[in-house]
Amino acid sequence: MGGKIKVKKKTTMSMRRRESLWGLLFISPFIIGFTVFLLGPMLFSLIGSFTNYNITSRMDFIGFRNYEQMFTADRLFWTSLYNTLYYVAFIVPLTAVGAILMAVLLNQKIKGIKAFRTIFYLPAVLSGVAVYILWMQLLSPSTGLINTVLSWFQIQGPAWLFDPDWTKPALVIMRLWSIGGTMLLYLATLQNVPGQLYESAELDGANAFQRFWHITLPMITPIVFFDVVTTTIGAFQIFQEAYVMTESGTGGPANSLLFYNLHMWNKAFVAFDMGYAMAMSWILFIIILILTIINLKLAPRWVHYEGGQR
Amino acid sequence: MKRSFKPALLSLLIGTGAVLSACGGQGGVAENSGAGVPDEAVEIEFWTFWGSEQRRPVIEEIIADFNNMQDEIHVRHVYQPWGDIWTKSLAAVAAGNPPDVVIQDINTVRQRADANQAMNLQEFIDQEEEEVQERFYPHLWEAVVHEEDAYALPFNTDTQVLFYNKDLYEEAGLDPNSPPSTWDELEEYAKALDERDGDHWETIGFYPLWNLGPDIWALNADNGNTWFDEDGNVTIHTPEKVEALEWVVEWQERIGRDTINRYEAEFGDGMADPFISGLVAMRGQNINYYSSLKDNAGELNFGVAPLPEKESGSGHYSWGGGFVAEIPYGAENPEASWEFINYLTDQAPQEYWGLNGFDVMANMEANEALAEHPDLSDEGRMVYDLAHMNLDVTVLAPVPLDAPDYHSLLNPNIDEIMLGKVSPEEGLSQAQEAVEDLVEQNQQ
Amino acid sequence: MEAKELEPQKTPVKENEGFRKKTNNPDKKSSGKGPELKPGYFKSRKVKKRIANIFTTLILVAVSIVLLTPIYWMVITSLKPMSEIVQFPPTLFPDEIVWSNYAETIQAFPFFRYAFNTLIITVCVVVGSVLSNSFIAYGFAKISFPGRNLIFALVLATMMIPGFVTMIPQYILFTQLGWVGTYLPLIVPAFFGNAFFIFLMRQFYMSINNELIEAAKIDGASHFYIWSRIMLPLTKPALITIAIFSFNGAWNDFLGPLLYIHDESMYTLQIGLQTFQSQTTTQWNYLMAGSTMVLIPVVILFFVCQKYFIEGMDLTGGTKG
Repeated sequence: MGGKIKVKKKTTMSMRRRESLWGLLFISPFIIGFTVFLLGPMLFSLIGSFTNYNITSRMDFIGFRNYEQMFTADRLFWTSLYNTLYYVAFIVPLTAVGAILMAVLLNQKIKGIKAFRTIFYLPAVLSGVAVYILWMQLLSPSTGLINTVLSWFQIQGPAWLFDPDWTKPALVIMRLWSIGGTMLLYLATLQNVPGQLYESAELDGANAFQRFWHITLPMITPIVFFDVVTTTIGAFQIFQEAYVMTESGTGGPANSLLFYNLHMWNKAFVAFDMGYAMAMSWILFIIILILTIINLKLAPRWVHYEGGQR
Repeated sequence: MKRSFKPALLSLLIGTGAVLSACGGQGGVAENSGAGVPDEAVEIEFWTFWGSEQRRPVIEEIIADFNNMQDEIHVRHVYQPWGDIWTKSLAAVAAGNPPDVVIQDINTVRQRADANQAMNLQEFIDQEEEEVQERFYPHLWEAVVHEEDAYALPFNTDTQVLFYNKDLYEEAGLDPNSPPSTWDELEEYAKALDERDGDHWETIGFYPLWNLGPDIWALNADNGNTWFDEDGNVTIHTPEKVEALEWVVEWQERIGRDTINRYEAEFGDGMADPFISGLVAMRGQNINYYSSLKDNAGELNFGVAPLPEKESGSGHYSWGGGFVAEIPYGAENPEASWEFINYLTDQAPQEYWGLNGFDVMANMEANEALAEHPDLSDEGRMVYDLAHMNLDVTVLAPVPLDAPDYHSLLNPNIDEIMLGKVSPEEGLSQAQEAVEDLVEQNQQ
Repeated sequence: MEAKELEPQKTPVKENEGFRKKTNNPDKKSSGKGPELKPGYFKSRKVKKRIANIFTTLILVAVSIVLLTPIYWMVITSLKPMSEIVQFPPTLFPDEIVWSNYAETIQAFPFFRYAFNTLIITVCVVVGSVLSNSFIAYGFAKISFPGRNLIFALVLATMMIPGFVTMIPQYILFTQLGWVGTYLPLIVPAFFGNAFFIFLMRQFYMSINNELIEAAKIDGASHFYIWSRIMLPLTKPALITIAIFSFNGAWNDFLGPLLYIHDESMYTLQIGLQTFQSQTTTQWNYLMAGSTMVLIPVVILFFVCQKYFIEGMDLTGGTKG
């Protein structure tokens, strides 16, 4: 009897080991790529954060001085952190809600839906300076489209990019314009929601909102989770918009657009204080890491995986 | 469906291998179009941001001349995008594999010299029979010298001047041949040129912060002193600079912040041009704005003048910039590179560049020749003549080594002054303090 | 609860299915035979649906107009002569349409050469991204092994480090590998996965029922077989999404080619477009014409790829049923 059990144990052991080997095989490209292309540069930047590295001529160990300076002496560190948190706090929920609404709208069977999908995705494709220039026109206080539309409702629009209180909302609006990419993720997921579910719910008398809330939403929670995590990470790293729209990274009116990465860029490539920039990047890393861990811990409460949490 | 997927996948996999090897192979095909390289010639790579259809042929002509007049050195021109060219060359210097010559910003030469990004040229300069520095305007030469050694040769430069619309002058009953010379006259002229109908302005005579920074008015008022003095002391909070900003704020109050924002938003992106359209009658601007006027202004009748001075005799100080030819640290053939940049800043190539590109040159004799050049229009000669004179009162603001990123501390204070949140006195004194802090941090 | 209360007033199951069949709903292949219908009810449902559709279309049109405005601006600017662009106030429609802007843009730099270069890079990156990320993510989502969660955390961590600080060390690394001046630094990393895509694919896999895998395993299928034969077809919408994203990313990439390509004949479109911007002036007409032309392939690709979304859905239903 005992012998038999032992044999069984052995086979499960070897099966488990086989399974592990398969797992490692599948993730091996990442491990290799990470080791070759990323590990070195990341370690380098970690070490560099404890030095006065200026890219070309010096790299002396200075202990925690960069970190110390960040929290005690650098006035702009806090400004840039505040600006960034403000942006993240608006972008993350608005992107998720906006993209889901768009995706649900575009998941209908309506004439010309292919064209609509393309139009909704289009802004996400445009990149570079041209887009930001176009937006500066739309946000123009007197003749820009946005304030013109507001004036139809008797609302006097703000001066947007000229008023420090409105520069960040302007960037939020601009970002929302191009949520077509995120919308696409939701649209792709909605395709996996089996049609039968809707039908039986409809038969049970559920209205459109109930169907959305009880069927669609739970089915797309894995992507909501993905969206929240990646948008948070992305929003913390906002850079290019601010760089282009503030005359090469000067930070906009009253530094209202001096985002974390912009400040870091100025330290790294204007002041050549790369060691300091590297220290900043690790602080940002820790901030994002903590938020991501919170997200991961909360996930099991609301994310529904059809395949189960394996 | 399932069946068709597998062959597709396989062909993708195979295709990938083939494409990958093709991609790798491409690297080998390196030679640019154009003349062949003589066998023993040293090849040097020259990075510029001059890729437009106006500039590229000019620089390539200059290079071709150089390549043809001797056969030891062959220069290969590589265009790199404006602005990003310097990120790229920095990475290349860091990796020890830089190009041979790069066009760089003149205001940051010392910073790069200090960080070992640029090569010390003094040895080459000393070997030349001619006094190399005599070619250049003194303020330009000063900017390329770090601890008594030169690290670059100035190529072109610019200066800020006043452009004015002669037709609008006549309509307003002003003499088109006597532009304003002092700040008071400027204001007087501007008021005469203003034409408004309630909230709508037909013409705005002048607004000091359109196309010029407050920096320029501050140094214009303060005897040509920038935000730092020669010893690197912070000179942001001086009585003259406070006065200058008070003066700018007065303009803003007179025209109205809303009006300014409104119009600025319309042309702030650089598309619509209010001077060409006649909305703005006078405009302080970089002198190379002339090339844009030449191409886009059509029949516009305009004049150029030095920036007005604060009061009679205080000096028409202006602010300038420019570009230099630099040999990055670690470049392989510094001798050959030196030969080339030495040629590049000589009178003939400089004159040729100015003639075809409408830049103010770093070489004094080239500008003097251009001011009388028979191939230029009257307007063209007028621009060079003024430029040559104006460079005497033009100062550069090289990046201070102890506070290279001081702008991000100064600008928000100036913004707050312009937003009316603090007085010029308060704002500048706060900025002074913040920048002094930064200097102190960096000196540790 | 509410739904149950409403039930008595509701129509029987089959009637509803019949309705769906009649409206030719593509995602539902009804099996039951059409039962007897109450014509009145049927009509009111149909009208209701139609009204809802009209309403949705109206919303879509309104949002589309908003979304298209900047693009409209881009296109009309590309058709204006420079002298009209500098006019103030700007014109809402070109006074004079200058098609030659496009021809001149193509001549300003080797447009087709650069387009070809961009395409080579992009195709390599798309192939690499689709294959590697779906492969890697399968390991994270469907196979359990020790340390999996830790390594997955590492995947996420690679997204959290801002690119600037690793840019210079990475450049030095590629210099030492001798890859600078070739397309390899732009292409090869795509074959080793990207955190964003791995995470995305993992989420897709996680929402696929494990029963399928268990069944295949009992039949003796290896993980590789399951991945290539079952998972790849099942996750087609996700793969297409990755293809679109990575296409878009590589096609529009500027910093990568800028840093790593040293030879002008190997430049890409995004670098070519930069020739219209200089320290003093920007040639808006050409820049916008170029941007429009660069945009077109991506739009076409997206338009074409959409059909796979629908197909992917059919397949899911088919396999499950």
